[in-house]
Amino acid sequence: MGRHSRFQSSEMAVEIESKREQILTAMVRVVGRQGYEATSVADVIEEAGTTRTTFYRNFEDKHECFLAAYDVLIDRVFTRIVGECDAGRSWVDRVRKGLATLLDFFAEEPEMARAAVVEVAGAGAEARRKHTDALTRFTAYLDGGRRLHPEAELPEHISTMAAGAVSALIFDELVAERGAQLPSQLPELLFAMLVPYIGPAAAAEEMRRAA
Amino acid sequence: MSEPRRTAELARPAGGKRREHWRPPRGRHRLPPEVIARSQRERLLSAAIEVVAEKGYAATTVADLTREAGISRTTFYEMFEDKEACFLAAYEAAVDVLTRRIATAFEAEQGWPARVRAGLEALLASLAAEPRLARLALVDVGSAGPAAQRRYRAALQRMTPFFDEGRDYAPNGRALPANTSRMAIGGVIGLVADEIEGGRTERLPELLPEVLFATCLPYLGPEAAAREVGKSAAPAKK
Repeated sequence: MGRHSRFQSSEMAVEIESKREQILTAMVRVVGRQGYEATSVADVIEEAGTTRTTFYRNFEDKHECFLAAYDVLIDRVFTRIVGECDAGRSWVDRVRKGLATLLDFFAEEPEMARAAVVEVAGAGAEARRKHTDALTRFTAYLDGGRRLHPEAELPEHISTMAAGAVSALIFDELVAERGAQLPSQLPELLFAMLVPYIGPAAAAEEMRRAA
Repeated sequence: MSEPRRTAELARPAGGKRREHWRPPRGRHRLPPEVIARSQRERLLSAAIEVVAEKGYAATTVADLTREAGISRTTFYEMFEDKEACFLAAYEAAVDVLTRRIATAFEAEQGWPARVRAGLEALLASLAAEPRLARLALVDVGSAGPAAQRRYRAALQRMTPFFDEGRDYAPNGRALPANTSRMAIGGVIGLVADEIEGGRTERLPELLPEVLFATCLPYLGPEAAAREVGKSAAPAKK
């Protein structure tokens, strides 16, 4: 933010902000397409249709740019999910809507999905921490399920494992280049997400209903 | 244990001194060439685990590997095409050791809940005893390119049979998702990887009750899963 304050003209600031956004979007797309390791600043500049000068005015290097891009991406996904979830009547309904929204987004944007789920693992410790934090944001939402059966005394990490189960299957599908078919996995993923909170029989019932 | 410290061949134990690998005597010797090649290969795989754990995959060079293994560049390229091929072989060897240990523990027990408990216990204990190996197998592998990502996926796939048996114990086994075991493993491994990344590798065995509960839950339901956890906790209390 501080970077822009020296620009007096707000028009100029807007243009720079949109350049920055273009670079962030380009970063995620290129990383999703060719992998973090194989991505160069030159590739990102070309994808964004910008110049080296503009890139380096906004970012220190590829790593800093990826971290910023990751934050923006997660915020975007999260906003969309929460928007859909809030329309749900029950907790189970909200989980289903949220999951469906995530899978639809990933199917529409397979490159972004790969960057968010697969490539983030190779982008250093800070990137992985951001990924863990993102999962925690989702699991905090999931934890509402604990209130369904408060007597069950579920273990501390149960929602982390439920989110891990979902994330693992999505990872598999993306590595196997089946990102576009992710929405068809909704019923099984829903089962994995619900089962700790409502048990296998009820989760299987929800799975059938979502099919 | 029927396989005493197999991974010691591949990595130094936690906090331990640099492990000296057996090397053929210097000078003229009469060891058959394939014996020398095998020992060089083992040293190289071990070196790959050490160096990648220390520097990360991206920063590791072939020169680092040959220095750590004490072999020549020529010998390296006789065995492997490049750094990636060497890393993949080290990864494969590490996964082999882990899978064998899990299988040994699993097969020594009767009935799926006891078998899966023993398998998870072996997994957590092996990773805790060898933090470098643990990092390589579950964290660093993500940074080593698309081939490594596919190997990682295949490695987790190799664990599904241990979980799949739970279907026969499940009251509604046929109604469970086709990917139940794959997802259950994902949940366990996701938590384990978080703990490794957070520097809590040596405390992994403490997670056994939680991961056992989460593993049994989809198959047996929450009450039976909690009973299985209770069983496992009992002997430890004495």
